[in-house]
Amino acid sequence: MRSLFRALPLLLMSMPLSGAPIGQNAAGTSPPTSAEEIVHISFAGSFGDKPFACGQYYEGVGSNGATVTPSDLRFFVSNVALLAADGTPTPVVLEQDGVWQYRSLALIDLEDGTGGCRNGNAAMHAEISGTVARGNYTGLRFTLGVPFELDHIDDSTAPSPLNMTAMLWSWQNGYKFLRAEVSTRARQARSMAKATGAVGFPVHVGSTGCASTGPNSGPDHECKYPNRTVVTLPAFDAMKDTVVFDMSKLLGRTDLSRNTQQTAPGCMSFPSDPDCIGVMQALGLVYGDLPAKPQVVFYAREK
Amino acid sequence: MLSPALARWLPGALAVVCVGSVLAATPPAPFVWDKPAWAPTPVVPSNNPMDAAKVELGRALFYDKRLSRDGTMACATCHRQELAFTDGQRVHIGVTGEAGIRSSMTLTNVAYLSSYTWANPLITSLEKQMQIPLFSEHPLEMGMVGREKQLVEMLSQDPDYPQQFALAFPEDDGRITKGNMTKAIASFERTLLSFDSPFDRYKHGDTRALSAAAKRGEALFFGERLECYHCHGGVNFTDNNKQQGQAFPEVGFHNTGLYNEDGQGAYKPWDHGLRDVTAKPEDEGAFRTPTLRNVAVTAPYMHDGSLPTLGAVILRHYAVQGHSAVAGKGPNPMRSEFIQGFKISHSEVNDLIAFLNSLTDRSFLTNPAFSDPRKRTPR
Repeated sequence: MRSLFRALPLLLMSMPLSGAPIGQNAAGTSPPTSAEEIVHISFAGSFGDKPFACGQYYEGVGSNGATVTPSDLRFFVSNVALLAADGTPTPVVLEQDGVWQYRSLALIDLEDGTGGCRNGNAAMHAEISGTVARGNYTGLRFTLGVPFELDHIDDSTAPSPLNMTAMLWSWQNGYKFLRAEVSTRARQARSMAKATGAVGFPVHVGSTGCASTGPNSGPDHECKYPNRTVVTLPAFDAMKDTVVFDMSKLLGRTDLSRNTQQTAPGCMSFPSDPDCIGVMQALGLVYGDLPAKPQVVFYAREK
Repeated sequence: MLSPALARWLPGALAVVCVGSVLAATPPAPFVWDKPAWAPTPVVPSNNPMDAAKVELGRALFYDKRLSRDGTMACATCHRQELAFTDGQRVHIGVTGEAGIRSSMTLTNVAYLSSYTWANPLITSLEKQMQIPLFSEHPLEMGMVGREKQLVEMLSQDPDYPQQFALAFPEDDGRITKGNMTKAIASFERTLLSFDSPFDRYKHGDTRALSAAAKRGEALFFGERLECYHCHGGVNFTDNNKQQGQAFPEVGFHNTGLYNEDGQGAYKPWDHGLRDVTAKPEDEGAFRTPTLRNVAVTAPYMHDGSLPTLGAVILRHYAVQGHSAVAGKGPNPMRSEFIQGFKISHSEVNDLIAFLNSLTDRSFLTNPAFSDPRKRTPR
């Protein structure tokens, strides 16, 4: 099967309209079918209109206009579907590449291990690949998060990408769905860091309020705060558009120069951390007593 | 010669051996890792596959003091089994009595590391790492620099080694070389697996393996107030990890704010950590996250052994935004964003230490398969 898979790009080139099969899925191997087409969905990070890049500095980020440099940007996307004009979803079956994509889950990795991202790695994954039933699609829907049934598995035996320690949270709380971190300590921000004690603003989003049933297992029912965002982009053409993750929007409502005393650094999505309010609202999540607002972090932009 | 741990997992191991012998007519017996099924399998360099005879040779070499200039130091001098293969010293002392600048690191589960030493991303194998203690001059450790020829002669004239090299390296005609010696020691070190701590037994089903205090400490350790597990996460409690089935190795170097000599984030002038290798100013004071397995027996702590106890590490370092803050230098502005300090009560400190104690694997510290083969006791 793997050899067929390696040959796929060649096969594709000889097939004008990409009616080709794609390799295995979780249930085994899909037979070739002319009713399917290959789809690639690309992702990009940004700070407003500037592209996200490790090692770059961005000014005017957050409610207090901080200068920041990225330390990480990785997130899990699941249950990807294309939407018909009337909103009907058709699931995208992900290619099982053994590295980035597993079942309905894909890790998007927009850091390249340079600059402040030195604890990441050079490999990146900015494009989901899979198949979808042929059709006319005008929109995109996906979940920012790991599905519950995969979220609390034992990471010591988990398959890639669920075996990367960078995305581990704790085994009761599951995985980090989103790891977006900036440092405010470099360059002129140094003096500010000294004054306030904050040296960066890491954002880790995952499920909280999880009740574990025992040491050998994660929770057997959904956590109190699942913190999975369903993102719907009603106007999205996979051929022409990119899904943008805008760090400026994620952090825009938050003062990055300070961290509330006796709370986790940045926002670790734990209840009752004032530093989380802006972030969780930007992501369209319920936080404490605050109802969800529409998410503003993801949007479609022409490639 | 079965270790207690191996005996426990033997049924699975036997199955592997049997399948192997059925399938292969002329089998090099497949190497069986002495580990539970849930533990990941280490990645082994393709030019140095695991082999029982090689491991046994490496074990003898590991304990052989003739591998040092004056015959006083073996690998095991700085890596003592009962201390989880550390030496209990603040910093290591070389054959000439010269003190080094860093503390000997544990060899617990060293097979899973993506890079070796305290802060060098370029040293990605044990084979490479071991050239430093054997041959380095600054600081001088075992002091064998320029003595490779004498080393090979010594090994060749030994009553046992020639036969052991022959068994371990048949594909190389059993040649006694520095390279083969290095490969054998690395193979032995890769067998130093520790997965039988009370915490492991608790996590894998034995609810009584942990005390109530250790369970409370576990919640603190994995909580967002203390942030311990952000760097000390995963199966080996470190963000440096390499295992089979993983797409690429992970690395983690962090400035924890131990020092702040100039108020601008500088560490001690003789040791800048990762910066000394990369020459990047932003890497000042960054060191590799060590595993916390067996941490209770590896005092003193930090890269330079400057903190004597786990209590000091918690209360006088991590709780206060890094030790430089209580040393009158202020928090290090270049420290990791996860070092924000925390309030912690004395009973919580005790709980956290109880949890860290639960990571001590007694069978690892006493496993006869890891001990000096020349001191074998009759059984």
